[in-house]
Amino acid sequence: MKGKSRNKKIIVYFLMIVITVITVGPFLYTLFIALKSPSQGIYDGLLPTDPSLINFVDAFKKTDFMLYLWNTVIVTGIAVPLNLLFSSLAGYALARSNFKGRTLVLTLIISTMTVPFQLYMAPLFQIAGEMGLRNTHVGLTILQISTAFGIYFMRQAFLNIPKELEESAYMDGANPFQVWLKIAVPLVKPTIISLAIYTFTFTWGDYLWPLLNTTDSTMYTLSIALAQMSQNFDGGNLKLISAASILTTIPSLLIFIWLQKYFISGATDGAVKG
Amino acid sequence: MERKFKQMLFIFLMGSLFIGLVACNSESEDAGGTDSGADSGELSGEVTMWTASLAGEPFDTYFADLEAAFEDLHPELDVIIEDIPQNEIEQKVLTSLTGDDVPDLVNLAPRYMVNIAAQGGLLELNDLVSDEVKGSYLEGPFESGHFEDGLYALPWYLTTTVSWYNGDHFEQAGITETPTSTQEIYDTSKTITEETGKPSFYQIINEGDTVMSKMITLANGEPIVENGKAVLQNNEDIIEFFTLTQKMYQEGIMPQENAEGSFSTAQELFMAGNLSLTESGVTFLGPMESGAPAIYEVSKAGQPLNDVNAPMDVAVMNFSIPSKTSNPDAAVALAEFVTNAENQLEFAELAGTVLPSTTESLEDDYFQNPGDSPKATGMLEASKSLERAEVLVPVVENSAELREAVKIAYVENLQGKLTPEEALEKIAEQWDASFEKTGEDITF
Repeated sequence: MKGKSRNKKIIVYFLMIVITVITVGPFLYTLFIALKSPSQGIYDGLLPTDPSLINFVDAFKKTDFMLYLWNTVIVTGIAVPLNLLFSSLAGYALARSNFKGRTLVLTLIISTMTVPFQLYMAPLFQIAGEMGLRNTHVGLTILQISTAFGIYFMRQAFLNIPKELEESAYMDGANPFQVWLKIAVPLVKPTIISLAIYTFTFTWGDYLWPLLNTTDSTMYTLSIALAQMSQNFDGGNLKLISAASILTTIPSLLIFIWLQKYFISGATDGAVKG
Repeated sequence: MERKFKQMLFIFLMGSLFIGLVACNSESEDAGGTDSGADSGELSGEVTMWTASLAGEPFDTYFADLEAAFEDLHPELDVIIEDIPQNEIEQKVLTSLTGDDVPDLVNLAPRYMVNIAAQGGLLELNDLVSDEVKGSYLEGPFESGHFEDGLYALPWYLTTTVSWYNGDHFEQAGITETPTSTQEIYDTSKTITEETGKPSFYQIINEGDTVMSKMITLANGEPIVENGKAVLQNNEDIIEFFTLTQKMYQEGIMPQENAEGSFSTAQELFMAGNLSLTESGVTFLGPMESGAPAIYEVSKAGQPLNDVNAPMDVAVMNFSIPSKTSNPDAAVALAEFVTNAENQLEFAELAGTVLPSTTESLEDDYFQNPGDSPKATGMLEASKSLERAEVLVPVVENSAELREAVKIAYVENLQGKLTPEEALEKIAEQWDASFEKTGEDITF
């Protein structure tokens, strides 16, 4: 019996190690390249023999890294709270309000998730231009504010709340907005945090729309800066690209580590009820 | 806990509102119009130029100086230069053409130029550019700006094929000269592989375009397509190339990764010391100096690996003017300015791995006596092979289909799924069908 249990443990640990190598391996490999000094070749051994931060310093010096970082922070700072606000409002209405055509509205919203971006990017580009959103931080966020995924995700979470809690609040004289804010929202906190992480990750790494909607390079975000470096006409400096990639990934990583316990429970909450 | 969460939510909402207001406030300074100065004779207004993947130093300073110099010549003109990642530049130009926010001048590769021109997105330049300016460019690169009897681009920088080899591996195997035929490539590579125990030769395939131009070089003046009909399947040199590269792949003289065939894979293998010989442009050495300094030191360039008189392909980067430009005169003047001999020479010196497209800049001492660094020897060999270089594969509507057919059949040939004869027959059939569809009556 003991032997069986030990074998099971060995298999589980082996699988965990394999999965860790697959997921963390590329990140570590990139980090090792970024830490290699100018005299060491990228393929001269796995580990840096004389670790150096010169590539990180160069990433700031040779590109407008701070400017692109600032743009990305602003864009993400706008997109995350607005997506949380609009998605949770719309999701709550779709979960709790009994209005005519509710199912149709939900179906329409979900169906927009199946339309590829390439299909509507040209009209979106025109509309953004006509609304004065070209080369603006707000303009860069319009794809992430009130997403179909966010609305559906929040609706699923609100459906899990016992109706009785809200009914007692109504009996105490609260209006629907107060019930949403004071009763429903606090109860779906893990889902909200999960959505915040999703939105953060998508906005932070969004590439094509920020590229299309900017004709002024001072509005570029980090993902565009990385593309510029890696698509350099002669192949670019791989150590510099690796350093910039690590710098770009760090904020997402820190936020995920900070909020991961909510993320896991939130992601499963949304999947319970259909 | 609940109170803390509410506070966090409140701070988030207020923060977003504040950032949104700040962001909105900082925009809309570009309300100034883009007047064309054509009527007054003097150029004025705004002119926007997009470069492709030329961001960061030393290019930022070069373009800032270029911008200032052109504005000095035309004080009423405001020049804006932006850089766009190359892979998306075609999509960005096409999207911008659906609205009014279009650039005035764009740095495009010929394949992108043809696609945009075919959709009516580019200005025809024949009447806008003087004969003197047209005559200042090398003939082959200048021809690459043509599409269906129209001129849609002026040439900028170029790269042409040279051979790159690892000097240490050659020395180890006792080889002193680069091969000049497919049979010699086989013999040389086999000797090196036996000595080093590693694959030694890599044939870059990319999208199939590199193999296409290689076939034209091997045909050495004989057409591979005649009046829209493929005739490559009977060419002895092309059959030999397919036969011997298949043999090299099967014998491990070419690496397994060659089935993927990209330029960047060749660079990675070469940088890792796992490759001894390949053919590519001077840009091949670009990441080598920083990424693999030891390999860079032993890298050597030679003439391309074929008959010394065979025609070589030249890859050109062009400048085109979108048809919706609001300032065509300024755009033409800026294109001529950026591509003039003096500015091209300065750009080529700065980039270190490209050639200029003007005859005058190539006569400069920089290209005649470039020094003995690996990059410099590459430049010297490239400028030599430029004498017999031209755009070998004409850009046609079905270019993508032609390339794809070659790529698939060549890889299947490498892997032994097709015999060389079957692979060439397959290419010929697909090309014929494609030409029949487009009605193209072309010979190359």
